[in-house]
Amino acid sequence: MTWHHFIYFALPAVLLWAFGAWAAWRSKSRLATVSTIAGLFVFFAFILSMWVSLERPPLRTMGETRLWYSFFLPLAGIIVYSRWRYKWILTFSTILALVFICVNLFKPEIHSKTLMPALQSPWFAPHVIVYMFAYALLGAATVMALYLLFFKKSAISKEEFLITDNLVYAGLAFMTFGMLFGALWAKEAWGHYWSWDPKETWAAITWFAYLGYIHYRQQPRHNRYLALITLLVAFVLLQMCWWGINYLPSAQGASVHTYSN
Amino acid sequence: MKEGFLIGAGVVAAGLVLQLSVGRVVWNTFAWPVNGLVLVGFFALIAIVSLLGRRFYVCQFIGSNRAAIPALFYAVVLTIVMGLVRQDGSGSWFSDMLSFWPFVLIYVYIALILGLVIIRRSLRFRWRRDVPFMLNHLGLFLAMTTATLGNADMQRLKMVTTVDEPEWRALASGGAIVEMPIAIELKRFIMETYDDGSPRRFASDVQILTKSGKRIQTTVDVNKPVKVDGWKIYQYGYDTQMGAMSQISILELVNDPWLPLVYLGIYMMLGGAVFMFVLGERRKRV
Repeated sequence: MTWHHFIYFALPAVLLWAFGAWAAWRSKSRLATVSTIAGLFVFFAFILSMWVSLERPPLRTMGETRLWYSFFLPLAGIIVYSRWRYKWILTFSTILALVFICVNLFKPEIHSKTLMPALQSPWFAPHVIVYMFAYALLGAATVMALYLLFFKKSAISKEEFLITDNLVYAGLAFMTFGMLFGALWAKEAWGHYWSWDPKETWAAITWFAYLGYIHYRQQPRHNRYLALITLLVAFVLLQMCWWGINYLPSAQGASVHTYSN
Repeated sequence: MKEGFLIGAGVVAAGLVLQLSVGRVVWNTFAWPVNGLVLVGFFALIAIVSLLGRRFYVCQFIGSNRAAIPALFYAVVLTIVMGLVRQDGSGSWFSDMLSFWPFVLIYVYIALILGLVIIRRSLRFRWRRDVPFMLNHLGLFLAMTTATLGNADMQRLKMVTTVDEPEWRALASGGAIVEMPIAIELKRFIMETYDDGSPRRFASDVQILTKSGKRIQTTVDVNKPVKVDGWKIYQYGYDTQMGAMSQISILELVNDPWLPLVYLGIYMMLGGAVFMFVLGERRKRV
């Protein structure tokens, strides 16, 4: 299995997700759920067979992490949908997943099998997978914030804010796992659990920004719009942490997180 | 929350004054027992501020969750500066953020807030409500303070081992030669490569002799350090010109006496994150 076969899995998966999104608009919730999950199975089959043929988890390159992101977005979408029955959430997760799939299709990064010794660790897979899931949840929270800030005409309901908060809580929880798994791994691989490597610095920034949101929302009197704007800023900082540092002059050659270059 | 932003500005200003008067933070001075004393002093400070909370509004405010927001704001801004400037200690303040007083003091301020809210909660502790809170806050407090103060006690040394020659001297980061309580003899350097020649595995078969009389035959692999008498021994490097034929292996020896406390903090935070995910935002407020 190689990237050449990607389209044969990606296309059916996207069609299934799109069908699910359409069914959700039509209030056919069971059909929406079944179709989305079927799409997830198809997509995961590709990830799994890449894993087998690469003889390592496909987590090393940006292209490979995008693969997980495209998988987790509809997964997060279907979890939110099954709990709160939001009609638009599956459309959103499908479109975002499609964006990442297109990036992989039109700008493929074909990489060799090699995995340097420092990455051969049982911590590697959980560290990256957990982070990708956190990013997907926080991406969903960001879209929620965009919707509430710029598209929703009527007043924001209690329920809508609760969904946003819960996405942030779950996202931050997984981000904490990712960060601390990384620390425990770093101790085994590089001799220290925290070295203020540029990736770590930006991970701390992102983590503190979301902590700021959570604490601000706990104030009895606060400005809801300011809270939502905080979420947008936090997500920009997250992008910096995820891929922005690859282009940051101050991080060049200073990070152990830039294997893909 | 205006008061929080004022306090934060005050902390940054105090940091600048310190930076200009005494120069950058010299972390080496915090080696044991200074760090132990500083920690005790910090606990005393938390206790005093906590007691003054009844009398002074400022002290009460610092012990509330409102104080966290401006403090996090300042921490985010200063850490962004750190992320944007190359940390090579090339002279400017921002190129050595970890020794920049305003940066350090803002994190001390966060630790102070954490200490105060932890005390406040433990005085009216309720299991169901406060266990997740404690795991998150006490865990972060422990990890932050012990990692920072313990850093001066951490030793990281490089040892260049040669085949069949026991070595007990190691190099400190400054270049000083240190005599170790353990001697390591390289038996064999192991190197495996992928088809394209890039390394798949490098490791060292070694024999370790300790002052306590132990004789250990083992293999040090990347990602699999060996633990001996409080030291962790890492595979660090080899003669890259010789590759698989390398007759030397560079090992890193790390000793971090504060590690158990940092790990306790990390494990508490992991537990806290489980609760954060499972419980989410329970209180339905708007």
